[in-house]
Amino acid sequence: MTHMNNFQSVYIHVPFCRHRCGYCDFTLVAGRDDLIPRYLAALEREMQTYDQPVVVQTIFFGGGTPTHLPSAELKQLLKAVTTRFPLAAGGEFSIEANPLDMTDEVIEVLHSAGCNRVSLGVQSFDNKHLQTLERDHQGGEISEIVQRIRARIPNVSLDLIFGVPGQTLVDWEYDLEQALVCSPTHLSTYGLTFEEGTAFTTRKRRGQLTEIDEGLEREMYALAIKTLNKAGFEHYELSNFARHGYQCQHNLAYWNGSPYAAFGPGAASYLEGTRRTNTRSVLGYLSRMEQGASVIAEAETLEKEHAMREALYVGLRRLNGMDYTEFQQRFGVDLQEFAGETIQRLVKQGLLATDEKGIRLTGEGVFLANRVMAEFL
Amino acid sequence: MFDQRFIRNFSIIAHIDHGKSTLADQLLLKSGAITQREFREQILDDLDVERERGITVKARAVAIRYTLDGQEYEINLIDTPGHVDFHYEVSRSLAACEGALLVVDAFQGVQAQTVANAYAAIGCDLEIIPVLNKIDLPVTRIPEVMEEIESVVGLDTSNALKVSAKAGIGIEDVFKAIVERIPAPKGKPDDPLRALVFDSKYDHYRGVITYIRVKEGTISKGQKIYFMKAGTAHEILEIGQFRPHMLPCEELGPGQVGYIVTGIKVLGNVHVGDTVCDYLRRPAAPLPGYEIPQQMVFCGMYPIDASDFEHLREELARMSLNDASFSFAADTSEALGFGFRCGFLGMLHMEIIQQRLEKEANVDLIQTAPNVTYQILKTNGEEVFIDNPQEVPDAGSITEFREPIAKVAFILPSDKIGAVMQMCADRRGVFVTTEFLGPQRAQLVWELPLAEIVFDMYDKLKSITQGYGTMNYEIIGYRAADLVKMDILVKGERVDALSTIVHRTSAERRGRALCKRLKEEISRHQFEIPIQAALGARIIARETISAVRKDVTAKCYGGDISRKRKLLEKQKEGKKRMKQFGSVEIPQKAFLSVLDTGNDE
Repeated sequence: MTHMNNFQSVYIHVPFCRHRCGYCDFTLVAGRDDLIPRYLAALEREMQTYDQPVVVQTIFFGGGTPTHLPSAELKQLLKAVTTRFPLAAGGEFSIEANPLDMTDEVIEVLHSAGCNRVSLGVQSFDNKHLQTLERDHQGGEISEIVQRIRARIPNVSLDLIFGVPGQTLVDWEYDLEQALVCSPTHLSTYGLTFEEGTAFTTRKRRGQLTEIDEGLEREMYALAIKTLNKAGFEHYELSNFARHGYQCQHNLAYWNGSPYAAFGPGAASYLEGTRRTNTRSVLGYLSRMEQGASVIAEAETLEKEHAMREALYVGLRRLNGMDYTEFQQRFGVDLQEFAGETIQRLVKQGLLATDEKGIRLTGEGVFLANRVMAEFL
Repeated sequence: MFDQRFIRNFSIIAHIDHGKSTLADQLLLKSGAITQREFREQILDDLDVERERGITVKARAVAIRYTLDGQEYEINLIDTPGHVDFHYEVSRSLAACEGALLVVDAFQGVQAQTVANAYAAIGCDLEIIPVLNKIDLPVTRIPEVMEEIESVVGLDTSNALKVSAKAGIGIEDVFKAIVERIPAPKGKPDDPLRALVFDSKYDHYRGVITYIRVKEGTISKGQKIYFMKAGTAHEILEIGQFRPHMLPCEELGPGQVGYIVTGIKVLGNVHVGDTVCDYLRRPAAPLPGYEIPQQMVFCGMYPIDASDFEHLREELARMSLNDASFSFAADTSEALGFGFRCGFLGMLHMEIIQQRLEKEANVDLIQTAPNVTYQILKTNGEEVFIDNPQEVPDAGSITEFREPIAKVAFILPSDKIGAVMQMCADRRGVFVTTEFLGPQRAQLVWELPLAEIVFDMYDKLKSITQGYGTMNYEIIGYRAADLVKMDILVKGERVDALSTIVHRTSAERRGRALCKRLKEEISRHQFEIPIQAALGARIIARETISAVRKDVTAKCYGGDISRKRKLLEKQKEGKKRMKQFGSVEIPQKAFLSVLDTGNDE
C-alpha cells in the first residue's frame, strides 16, 4: 500500500469514554476499559499497512476521549502512531482531551510525545448545563486546568456547546466570556444537535427534553460570532474561531479536500479520491482486525461531477469560501461554468457573495449554510 | 366444439372481503385447472395493485373442465369486481352469464354491495345461488344471514349452500349446484354468429386480446369477422380459452367463453359491449351491449418535470386501453403547467389508476384534489358542465350552481344509526328511509351531494361503525346549492390547482382546515409564507409558515463528510417531488390535502 502515501494528515480514533453523554452519537464504548489492550494491538495492526514511516504535517487524536486511556497506554498509543507517522518539523499534533483527565502526568506524556495542540472538551462553564450534558467536570475547574496545560502545551483550543435545553442567551454569553478569560488560541462552538439514536433524541420524543427555540439558537450563534470576532478571533469555519496563525491545520485538510489516512473504529480516510469508513462497531472492529479481515464498512469513490459538488459542500464551510483558482486547480473546471446558475440564484437570495476571487457565504448564508450546500448537491 | 348442453357460465358476486376470490381459487384447484403447486392466493387478480388491496378490479374469465356423474362439463367463471366504484364492470360480467353465486359472509351477513350486486344479477335475469361462506368461523349467524338474504335480497335460501372457501368445505356442492341449477346456454351453432365483447386487454406481443362470449353461432380460427359497433373487419389469428392460462383452440360455439386475437394494436379500437359477427353472414341486430360508465370523479395529473408530458400521455393512453371507464384529456394549469384532466368512476378507481401510474410508468406526478362534475346555469341561459374548479365563471354570471346528488344506501349495526345519521346531516344530506333488516341491523337511505361522498365518506363510515357499516350509491341527478369557488393564495399568489368548490356554509371551516393542512405540508423557507383561503377577493382564513432562522450542520470533519452529505442529498431528493411557485416550493402531497379537511374542527 506504499502507493497511498501521498497524504499529509493522519486521524486516529480512540473509542473509549468514562460515560456516553446523552447527546453523543460518536463511535465509542463507555465502561469497557478492558478492551484497551486489544484496541492498541488492533490499531498497531491496522497501521502496519504502511510498511515504511510516512512523515506527515498533521496528526489528530479524536474520540471518544483519547485522554481516557491510562497514562502508560496513552504513551504506548502516541509512540506507536508517531513511529509510523513521524511529524514534520512545524507540523501540528492535536489531541482531544477531557478536562478532568489532564493531570500533570498526562500533560507530561502528551508533551513528551510531541503533542503540540490540545482541544479541550469544556462544553460549558455553567454547572447546570454541564449536568444536562452529563459532563463530569465543574465550570470553575476549567481555568486552572487550562493554565496547567498551557504551561507545557501553549496551543489550547476549547470546545463549547450552545443551544443546551434550558440555556438562555445570558447563560451563553457567560460561557463565551469565561472561555475568553482562559485565553485559548482557538475556539469551536457547536450548536447542540439531536442526532438519531441518542438518549437526547429519545427523551425529546418522550417530551422530557425540549429543544430550544430556533430563533434563540440563531441569536446564540450570532452572539458567538460577534463576541469572538471582537476578541480578535477569526471566524474561519462555520463552527471554528482562531487567533491569527492558529487555525486547525488538520481540520483544514478535510475542508480543503486534501487526502488523509485514518485508523480506528469509525474512522474515515480519503486517499486517491476514495473515502473509506471503518466499521462503527468497536467490537466488530477489534474482532475483524484480530481475524485479519477488512474493517472497512463503506468505501465511496465519487465520480468527478459528484466530487466537485462535494468540494463545494465541504469547502463552503470555510468562511473564505471557494476561490475560482482553487476549484480550477483541483478539478480543471471553471466554477462559474460548473455552477453559475446555482451561484446566481443563491446570490439573489442573499446567501452567497461573489467577487473576483471566488464565492463565499454571506452573513445570512452562515445561518442557513445547509440550504446553500444542498443547492450544490 | 364443446356440446353446449354441458356448458355453464357463471359469475361470483359478493361484498368485498366476503371470500369471492378464495372461492374462485378453490374451484380452480378442485377442478384441476391449476395444481396445488400453481395455487396461489387470489390467482384471478393479476394486477399488483389489486392484490395489495384484496379486490378484483378487472373482469377475467376462466374455463374449467369438471366431471360430474361421468359427464364432463365446461364451466366458465367470469370474475367480477366487488367495489362500489366498479359497478359497471360487474354488469359487464353478468351479461356474459346464465347464473351467479351470491357469496355472503356467514357472520357479517348482507352488506350494501351484496344488495347492489344481487339486484344487478336479478336485472340480468340470472339464476342466483346463495352461498354462505366462512361457515367454519368460530362465530357465525347462519339463520339470521339466511333471513337477511330472504328479506333484503328476496331470494329463496332453502337450498343455499354452506361452504368455507378457505378450508375447502362444501366445494363439491358448489360444482353440483352450478351444473344442476344454472341453465345451459341457449343459441344454435348454425345461427349467424353473435359474440359479446366483454373485456379486452393489451398484450405486448399479440396486441389486443379481446374477451368474448359466444351467444349464437360458431367462431373459428382464420374466420373473417366484423365488429358491429366499430364497423371494422379482421381475421382471427388466434382463438382460445383461459384455463386459466391462454390455451389456443380451433373454434368456440354457443355459450363458450374465450379470447380472440385479431392483430388489432390499439385497444381503443375494441369496444367493450360490441358484438362480433361473421363478415359476410351478418345477424339481424347486434347484442344489447352495455351502458356507458358514468365518470363522477375528476382530478388533474401533472408531470413534475414538464419534459415528461408526452411520456405521461402515452402511459395514460396505455391505462385507458385496459380500462374503458377511465378517460383523460390534455389540460393546462397556471400553477402546474401542462398536464391532464382525468375522469374516474369513483375514488377507489382514481387511487388505483394513480398507484399503477406511479408503479408502472415511473413518472413523478402532482395530482390535484378530486372533484365532481358540476352544472352551472349562466345568466345568459346557457347550461355548462364543469369538471374543473378553474373553469367556474364569475359569481356574477351564475344563475344557479348545481351539484350531483347520489342516493346512498347504508347497511349498518342498528346502534350506529344515530352516528351515521349525524354524519349524513353534517354533509348536507336529505333523509329518505330507515328499514330494519333484523334486530341488530338496519338499512338507511339518504340523498347526499356526491362531493360530500368523495371527500372520505367511505373512511368516515368505516370508522364510525368500526368497520361494520357498508354503503353503495347511485347518482340520481343534479340539484341547485349555494356553492362557491374557494381559492388558495400562497405568499399572495393564487395557486389555481388548489382551488375547490365548496358549500358557502362550510367555506370558512374548510378554508381554515385547508390552510392549516397546507401549513403542515409546505416546509419552511428562508422567508415567511402566508397561506390564505379566499372567496373572490374576501380572505376567509389565514395561516403563516414561519421563516427558517438557522440551519447549519455543526460538525463536519473526516468521518462526517459522507454521512452528512448523504443526509442533505436525501433532503434534496425529497424536493424533486415539489413544484416551484414563485419562490415557494409546494410538495406533491399538499395538492391532495384538500381532501383531508372534510371533518376537521
